[in-house]
Amino acid sequence: MTMARHLIATCLLSLGAALGAPGAGAQAQAADWVSYRDAYRAMVVFEKYGGPKNHLQQYLQVVPLEKGVAFDGLQLSLAGKTSQVNLALDALGRAAFPLLKAAYDDNAALLLNRRIGAFTVRPRVSLAPQADGVYDEAELRAACEQALGFARYVDASLRERQCGGVRFVFARRAGDIAVRLHRAEGADQALPATTGAAFQGDAGEGFPTVVYRFAGAARAQVISVNPPLAIVPLFE
Amino acid sequence: MNKFSALALAVLSSSAAAQTPATNPMPDGSRDMYVGLGLASTARYEGAEHSERKALPVLQVQWSNGAFVSGMSAGIHLSRDPQVEYGPLVELQPRRDESGMGGGIDGIEARYSIVALTLADLEHNRLTGMAPVSTRLLGGGFVNYYLTPDWRLTGSLLGGAGNERDGVRLDLGLQRLALRIGAHHRVSVAAGLSFVNAGYNMAFFGVGRDDSLRSGNPVYRPGGGLKDGHLGLRWNWDLAPSWMLTSQLQAKRLAGDARHSPLVERPTSVTVSAAIAYRF
Repeated sequence: MTMARHLIATCLLSLGAALGAPGAGAQAQAADWVSYRDAYRAMVVFEKYGGPKNHLQQYLQVVPLEKGVAFDGLQLSLAGKTSQVNLALDALGRAAFPLLKAAYDDNAALLLNRRIGAFTVRPRVSLAPQADGVYDEAELRAACEQALGFARYVDASLRERQCGGVRFVFARRAGDIAVRLHRAEGADQALPATTGAAFQGDAGEGFPTVVYRFAGAARAQVISVNPPLAIVPLFE
Repeated sequence: MNKFSALALAVLSSSAAAQTPATNPMPDGSRDMYVGLGLASTARYEGAEHSERKALPVLQVQWSNGAFVSGMSAGIHLSRDPQVEYGPLVELQPRRDESGMGGGIDGIEARYSIVALTLADLEHNRLTGMAPVSTRLLGGGFVNYYLTPDWRLTGSLLGGAGNERDGVRLDLGLQRLALRIGAHHRVSVAAGLSFVNAGYNMAFFGVGRDDSLRSGNPVYRPGGGLKDGHLGLRWNWDLAPSWMLTSQLQAKRLAGDARHSPLVERPTSVTVSAAIAYRF
């Protein structure tokens, strides 16, 4: 009973303190913010990574807690005392993340320009697309190995994983998706498109995707007529 | 994403084992600081039957060079590998006397009882007549290894405890960091074991001949070994970018020679704490 009384007293004090915190109530109601410092802490790991990463790119991805949120017209704002930066989101909810000392020191918040409910953010590493849409298998494999190297650097439990291929992800309104495999001997093969999520764990479904699995053909090329939103490494 | 959210906001609780905050990379010249105040309900000393409520200062500071202050501990992150954390660690161990365990920071005595103890509580205090154990600065190091970004094994070794400064404590643990519940609620769980040498146990659970004469407790000379096992649950609620409510529930059970000490009235203790902190 004594411990129960202590627990109740402590919880009551906590709630009282929470309700009494200056500005806390109003901002908790909004609940549509993420700490820039927390996002910085996640994103800077890739920047500090000393391994090969020239074929990779990293974005900050907005993750709504409610399903079915569309990112059209959505914009992320970095709001600090001395800094205000607008970050455009792509169709996957990703934005290039600026590493700013001023925003960090301000303890700035990341806000959305439209209410979508509560959300979190996370880093997303993908392969850098080519302007001409032509990808040598050797380059894709090297890029996937770079991504796997970084993933292992962050997460020791991925040591047993291997690069199995890549997933090309396209915009929902990209039209007919045309991705083909071109071999040196001249035989071209259309790669089938399916719909699904861009990244593992994404709630957003319905993106046209094309998966290419590495077959060991050093002189093969993957040619994408449509510009992909993202090229996602597949670890198996 | 979970790892960066894994704020192990240490609180000034005499019952909490040394905790090291996760590596916190930041721009050169920056720092990340929490300061707050709350309330804790905790055993008056390790093994005490009665609990008391104390004011609970909260302090955690991390600098870009890897140095940190976390509650009563301070150290430096020396590793640049995200899977391993290690470095030197110091911890201020508060004075223990017949009124219980004390606590303080920067010379400000922070311990006082919110609720006056009854005479019956004082009459049953087995520390009465025992020589106080002076405040000591423990020194040592820590090593943490991440099994995944969310799970880490923790270890710290600290020496210099007790009036003879010969007490050594080894804390080993497993932590699940920052289980996210909603956008602004994170829960961390931890389990651990503490091992000590004979000097540590003698300082805090032993009864020498003089102490026995003064206190009436029988002479007791414990050896080293397992001191306790503990389970902890921490809940951090981000109220706003600058405000956090941090709460903790910790259960500890004394073991080995410590448990059989005549100073121990109850081997199991539960600590409950909650505090509001401002992030600078």
